[in-house]
Amino acid sequence: MLLLIQYMLIFASILILVALGGCFSEHSGVINLGLEGIMVIGSLGGALAMKYLPLTIPAVPYVLLVILCAIVFGVAYSSLLGVASINFKADQTIVGTALNMLGTAGATVAVKAINTAANPNDVSSIIQYINPKKKFLINMGGFEFNWFMLITLIVLVVAYVVLYKTRFGLRLMACGEHPQAADSVGINVYKYRWAGVLISGAYGGLGGICYILAGVSEWRFEYGAAGFGFLALAVMIFGQWKPHRIALAGLLFGFFRALSNVYFGFPFLVKLNIPGNIYNMMPYIISLIVLALTSSRSRAPKAEGIPYDNGQR
Amino acid sequence: MKNKDSKFANIMKTDGMQSLISSLICIVLGLFLGYIVLLFINPTGAFKAITDVMKNFFYYKGSTIRLKYFGNTLVKTAPLLMCALSILFSYKVGLFNIGCSGQYTAGACTALYAALKWNWGWFPCLVLAIAMGALAGTLVGVLKSYCNVNEVISGIMLNWIILYGTNTILTNVKELASPYTLLVKKYSPQSILPSLGLGKLFSNNQYVTIAVPLSILIAVAVMIVLNKTKFGYELKATGFNKNAAKYCGMKEKRNMILSLLISGALAGLGAAFFYLTGYEQWECTTSTVPGMGFNGIAATFLGGLNPIGTIFSSFFIQHITIGGANVDKTMYCSQISDLISALIIYLCGFVLFLKTFMKNVIRKREVKRTGKYENFKQDGR
Amino acid sequence: MAEQYAIEMLNITKRFPGIIANDNITLQLRRGEIHALLGENGAGKSTLMSVLFGLYQPEEGEIKKDGKVVQIRDPNDANDLGIGMVHQHFKLVECFTVLDNIIMGVEPTKAGFLQKKEARQKVLALSEKYGLKVDPDALVEDITVGMQQRTEILKMLYRENEILIFDEPTAVLTPQEITELMQIMRNLKAEGKSILFISHKLAEIMAVADRCSVLRKGKYIGTVDTDKTSIEELSAMMVGRNVNFHVEKKPAEPGDVILEVDGMTVASKVHKNNAVKNVSLKVHAGEIVCIAGIDGNGQSEFVYGLSGLEPLVSGRILFKGEDVTKASIRQKSVMGFSHIPEDRHKHGLVLDYSLEDNLVLQTYFQPEYTNKFGFLRRDNIRKKADELIEKFDVRSGQGAVTSARSMSGGNQQKAIVARELDKDPELLIAVQPTRGLDVGAIEFIHKQIVAQRDAGKAVLLVSLELDEVLDVSDRILVMYEGEIVGQFDPKKTTQEELGLYMAGAKRMEVQA
Repeated sequence: MLLLIQYMLIFASILILVALGGCFSEHSGVINLGLEGIMVIGSLGGALAMKYLPLTIPAVPYVLLVILCAIVFGVAYSSLLGVASINFKADQTIVGTALNMLGTAGATVAVKAINTAANPNDVSSIIQYINPKKKFLINMGGFEFNWFMLITLIVLVVAYVVLYKTRFGLRLMACGEHPQAADSVGINVYKYRWAGVLISGAYGGLGGICYILAGVSEWRFEYGAAGFGFLALAVMIFGQWKPHRIALAGLLFGFFRALSNVYFGFPFLVKLNIPGNIYNMMPYIISLIVLALTSSRSRAPKAEGIPYDNGQR
Repeated sequence: MKNKDSKFANIMKTDGMQSLISSLICIVLGLFLGYIVLLFINPTGAFKAITDVMKNFFYYKGSTIRLKYFGNTLVKTAPLLMCALSILFSYKVGLFNIGCSGQYTAGACTALYAALKWNWGWFPCLVLAIAMGALAGTLVGVLKSYCNVNEVISGIMLNWIILYGTNTILTNVKELASPYTLLVKKYSPQSILPSLGLGKLFSNNQYVTIAVPLSILIAVAVMIVLNKTKFGYELKATGFNKNAAKYCGMKEKRNMILSLLISGALAGLGAAFFYLTGYEQWECTTSTVPGMGFNGIAATFLGGLNPIGTIFSSFFIQHITIGGANVDKTMYCSQISDLISALIIYLCGFVLFLKTFMKNVIRKREVKRTGKYENFKQDGR
Repeated sequence: MAEQYAIEMLNITKRFPGIIANDNITLQLRRGEIHALLGENGAGKSTLMSVLFGLYQPEEGEIKKDGKVVQIRDPNDANDLGIGMVHQHFKLVECFTVLDNIIMGVEPTKAGFLQKKEARQKVLALSEKYGLKVDPDALVEDITVGMQQRTEILKMLYRENEILIFDEPTAVLTPQEITELMQIMRNLKAEGKSILFISHKLAEIMAVADRCSVLRKGKYIGTVDTDKTSIEELSAMMVGRNVNFHVEKKPAEPGDVILEVDGMTVASKVHKNNAVKNVSLKVHAGEIVCIAGIDGNGQSEFVYGLSGLEPLVSGRILFKGEDVTKASIRQKSVMGFSHIPEDRHKHGLVLDYSLEDNLVLQTYFQPEYTNKFGFLRRDNIRKKADELIEKFDVRSGQGAVTSARSMSGGNQQKAIVARELDKDPELLIAVQPTRGLDVGAIEFIHKQIVAQRDAGKAVLLVSLELDEVLDVSDRILVMYEGEIVGQFDPKKTTQEELGLYMAGAKRMEVQA
């Protein structure tokens, strides 16, 4: 049971982080379908940090450095979306999809290059982080507390405050709802859309490193993020683009994702003798159902997906 | 001289020409960026590696073996072309069928299961694959038109659901000692697509079957449907302007679902075109959705959203993907091709910008030449 | 010393490929005056304002503020100079509150955090001072158009703008709200604000403005004092010739009932109430029935319900005695409905299709254009397109194959009219068929509509322009808040009488 909660919280953390990323981007008016790719690149940044940082660094700065690295990678990578969709008015769906493919392919090429350079016989795309991982965990009586759970909570509160209590949030949301109105009062729509995209890159990168640290102690980069970026988008839609509701949605989805990791710990579930693949499908099936039930009355930012062109004012 | 000049300008003005130029720019830039990445990894072999990627079957010595590998490229081009057509077909209605991979997987699942479990002939296997692909596509369409679910997200969700489902189902027909499905050729030879002597043309490449010419015929058929028929007229009208389509009485929801149904059918057929050649077995523990559907996106946009264009772009994408396997593994990895494909898709996002840019240049030249503005009147709204 | 002007735009010229939008225009706004800018659609008013706001840079000319030359590169520069504008289409974020919309762009903050309390006090004070009633905490999507406009005005006042520009502010208002707005404008003037009032409504200009500058086809015609001019003179300046506004037509000879609507109710997409409430009416063969009303009183929704674009909550539609309430859009179209839609870009055209493909948008499925195997008969489509282009004088760059997007608005509208009339309909529904067109095109379309009537067709015209309503129609129905509140004979009524009903000040029982 404790294990279920532990997994639920860690998966929920990933989903909430990434969904908040999508939330910032969409509130600024840019649909970010490339979150999956951003997660992969973010996790690459974090994994590389864990590979090269000496383990002698104490836990807190170590964790912060790894996270910082993931964020920097995520932000840098999301700028590809920004350039294409904001400055060149490209189709956001195509660019997002390209970023997903580019993320996995790029990370695989990079890790393989690093591995092969170190040892010509090693053509794998795996990075191991058995020892570094321990720095992220605190064992509390059988419950593995992961720093990311706390970070998510903090980041969630920050997101809420930024969106609803600050000038930045007000202007950001105006750009996603009615960019012409924002522009007419002197708000630079391009700037705020860039901010939205880069913040989503930061959140995505954070979610990415959290994702590869969640269960295992090594990561094969060919696997990408297994649709987690898209699950996060489902969480975001279910959460109606509002941080507090995203948190609840994330917990729900996290629960179903956790089931597939721990169902064998529950005798009655084992007795049902359902193939493991069914549990694997669960989060995706649930999200489809949830989307089918909620999408028709969802209220997305009005101007999302529409490139802003100040020549058409 | 002046005449020649305007002839050139006229060709440049056509949309097809601009698409072709944009696509070529994307390819050149994509390869160039790929080369830069290779340079970063290891400068000594980078040039050889990028040429190996582009050479593909020319990498080998001797025309016999080259022909054989050329055949292999064609074998893999057929399913990719089907996926590209699948994405193209729904894109014309304004929908982005990223669920193509899942529909492809569904087709693979049913084709292999029917072949290995029930020992069906190739034709019923093909039909079943089409049906399953169509079913998966329809589901996306229904969710979109009746529940307003974004087709990209539902497509991705279905990809994973179908992947795990396929793994579960195909475990029943896999080899005992490995995660791979049984060999179709060995256990159900009647399920293998007929070659009709095509294999002989490619140094007895047994995998070259009717799938190759059929896929090209289907591309032509898709073009005819889109450009010459009432159905195509309706689909494109819906894609361009949903409201106008509704206003003039087109059944917009039905058209959306129908186009995704056909889209899914094409993807399912693509999978049958591949797995019923026996070229590859399904790995029942795979945890990634087949890349065919995603590469199809690259082929679709690189082909300028034109069915005939996708024939060439599919071949090109497959050409460099297989070519990627030839790079020197002690320095580089074969995923460099995936990277290039992804870069090309990314660059395709800029095609609209490129075209507008070209149109502006032409317009300026025209205005300069004739001194007239009339033909380029601003929208007078 | 020369006269002091708040803002001067001197000899402004702005060209676009194909047109000279502003040709040597001079506009001088005195301090503390209400100055009207008059011109038809396409006369260059919007371009001139875009130049003033730095959205466009003029090729020639200069702008002076208080006699000093200023550079305006973007809207921020204009803001800094104290220039504010109420746009024709409000620039309000619908899911924000009134207060958020007012402070947006000049938010009072402490370390980045919003300080809404002081902002609210300032807004309430301003609202008191100028009689601008608003609820600062209401969401914009929930409030009336009038309050939205007051929000826009408060936006300018909150920024302490001295020069206020109103772009066609009365188009969306009821006559009462218009009267209120005029009073507000006078209050603002009394407080020393300088106001530029853009309009093409002569009566309003005469009522509120001190002076009026007139533009026509991108050229500056002149500036006159309103107390030394007349509506007739302004009108002549605006259109350049004494236009025969009156449409020549024979008396109507109404025949059988073609369309009967019985108790139609349509839900609103904007608010929770019904947009159309229990409307009943009849249209006979050989008559033009016009639905008049202020924009947004349910006319659009009524037509959507009639054509099938929106579902009915209740009610029946009879066509030549047959119940077609449940018929699809296509079925109605085939039976003899034609529909010139309100928004030609949203509904009327597939802009990325060629002109010829647009001309068969309602008929492509007929055996003439699609053979029994489902293939389009391109030769017949071309033939029909060429015929219609010739007959209706639709002008385009490359004839039938021109992309609809590249055509001018007037020719786009002509193409739609051609398509809808060529169907030889029994019932023509025309919604604002002349919106945004020049005088020549308007005359042409009016003639076509009257010709339909004379051929014994039923015509239902929806219009916001009272001139059009009075000139073209044989019978007028006034719609107010989703209900028919009056029926008139155009020969026996006046603009003033219609205005009272359109504003909801009076109503009568109307039998369908």
